[in-house]
Amino acid sequence: MGEGFWARRSATLYLAAWLMLGLLLAGLLDATLGAGLAASLLFALPLMLMYAAVCGFAAYYQCRAFPLAQRGPAAVLAMFFVSAACAALLWCAAGTAWAAAWRMLAPAFFPRLEPLAMSAPLTATMFGVGMLLYGISACGHYLALEFARVRHLERRELELKLLAQDAELRLLRSQIDPHFLFNSLNSISALTAFDADAARAMTLQLAGFFRHTLGLEAQRKVRLADEIALVEQFVAIEQVRFGARLVFACSADEAARACLVPPMILQPLVENAVKHGVGQLPEGGAVQVTAQRAGSQLRVDVENDVDPDSPGARAGTGAGAGAGIGLPNVRQRLAGMYGSEASVHWARGDGLFRVALVLPAQEGEAA
Amino acid sequence: MNVLIVDDEHLARMLLREYLAAHADVEIVGECANGFEAVKAIAERDPDVVFLDIQMPKLDGFEVVELAGPRPHYVFATAYDAFALRAFDVHAVDYLLKPFSRERLAEALDQVRRRAAQTLQVAALVKDAAARQAPLARILIRDGARVHVVAADSIDCIEAQDDYVQVSAAGRRYLKHGSLAELEARLDAAVFVRIHRSWLVNLGAIARIEPVSKDNFCAVLKDGARLPISRSGYQKVRALLA
Repeated sequence: MGEGFWARRSATLYLAAWLMLGLLLAGLLDATLGAGLAASLLFALPLMLMYAAVCGFAAYYQCRAFPLAQRGPAAVLAMFFVSAACAALLWCAAGTAWAAAWRMLAPAFFPRLEPLAMSAPLTATMFGVGMLLYGISACGHYLALEFARVRHLERRELELKLLAQDAELRLLRSQIDPHFLFNSLNSISALTAFDADAARAMTLQLAGFFRHTLGLEAQRKVRLADEIALVEQFVAIEQVRFGARLVFACSADEAARACLVPPMILQPLVENAVKHGVGQLPEGGAVQVTAQRAGSQLRVDVENDVDPDSPGARAGTGAGAGAGIGLPNVRQRLAGMYGSEASVHWARGDGLFRVALVLPAQEGEAA
Repeated sequence: MNVLIVDDEHLARMLLREYLAAHADVEIVGECANGFEAVKAIAERDPDVVFLDIQMPKLDGFEVVELAGPRPHYVFATAYDAFALRAFDVHAVDYLLKPFSRERLAEALDQVRRRAAQTLQVAALVKDAAARQAPLARILIRDGARVHVVAADSIDCIEAQDDYVQVSAAGRRYLKHGSLAELEARLDAAVFVRIHRSWLVNLGAIARIEPVSKDNFCAVLKDGARLPISRSGYQKVRALLA
């Protein structure tokens, strides 16, 4: 549905409202002056529609030219009082002319119709009603403008948010630790002399991993199964480097694997777990990923061994704690996508660092 | 010449071993997978050259040099560390960027053979690296071939003793080479306060402040130790505890 549809629809609504006002005026004329329903309708409806056009254009442009936020209320009020009076006077004049025209023409075309006569009380009432209607329509225009402004702001904010998400993902992708790339290349360099097959296998894994991350888009959610596959690729490469030092286990139930998650939401957590956890332990350690779906929630936990003596043990915010920039970044992305429906918490204790993600379980095609 | 290889990755050590095998005058006296082993091996085997990875568990390459001293010729190796690279260039210390070629390694060895004395540069490099880690979260103390890692928040107080400082932490005492001013500058200033010319104290370890005489105070720690407080030290403690 395009802009045109909405414009036509609001114009129709606007006219309908004025038509009802016209009916009301006709009813009042009939009831108070006893002018007869047909004559009242013939007099009031065209006049009302004409006034609708006047108020529609004049008041609208006035409202646009004098935004409430920029002028003092007194100036706006005075300006509208004057223009309302002008419009109402014009309306009365038009009414008088219209009534006179009917008096001239009616005997020739509709001999049975008794045309409405303009009187002083009627003119005064029309003047008052005209002023009020002008004022009301000005208020209506201001309201509509305000709504449009808010909607514009909201849309802008949304656009900015989408842009920011995209930038963030790009950042995350480029932040895949350069250590990881260069150390992997160093391992390949070593393997070529001792185990050419292993060197080739690692080259392929590395290529697969980077191809996978390059294909991701910020707004396109992926199935958790795909994100786990990415993580497994990453871990397989790190396992060549760390050897037996890195133990990895992943358990996710089928319902959880089918859920949609933002791309690259799990990978930074596992990367942190390897780098700041297992990588800091001379004897190595384990990284455990668990994913479960519980009703409308998807819960993903990443747990890794950490060095109990490392400085992060103190505040839990140092780089040694694995918090770094990775976790705040994940938290921000989740907040941007799900608001308060998603959360991420981390804690360390008993030689373990745990991150718990909770997000709404969404299913469907990866889109 | 005697060479020690220090890297936490098995494959990286294998690569160096392979490259070094082509050099007849090189004898590999050991391989270490972490910083503690490296400090011990450098003390015991006295190598001429140490190939030292920067990113390692527990102790990084700079901390190994800080503890083992600048006697051997160090060739640092790193995959990527913008800070370290700048420091290497500034102090003209040799380094290898992983992955590196046989030729690049041969160049590094040539430089070692020419024996460009490295002592000053390496000392400056280590100082640089230490400055990046402020405030210090742990103190490294070498005790013969052993290394103690003392978490900063477990330290109660530190006393200056000539060329050494005595660190009291969790009921134990350690002697470390260095000055109190140096440690004061590197520890978190919001936690450690110089209360006296020869005393640095952890605010969290203070149980109470007691007057000794008029205008003279002492700090009583939670373990009962009593430390003197100088006049300017008293002002500092008052300001921080208020």
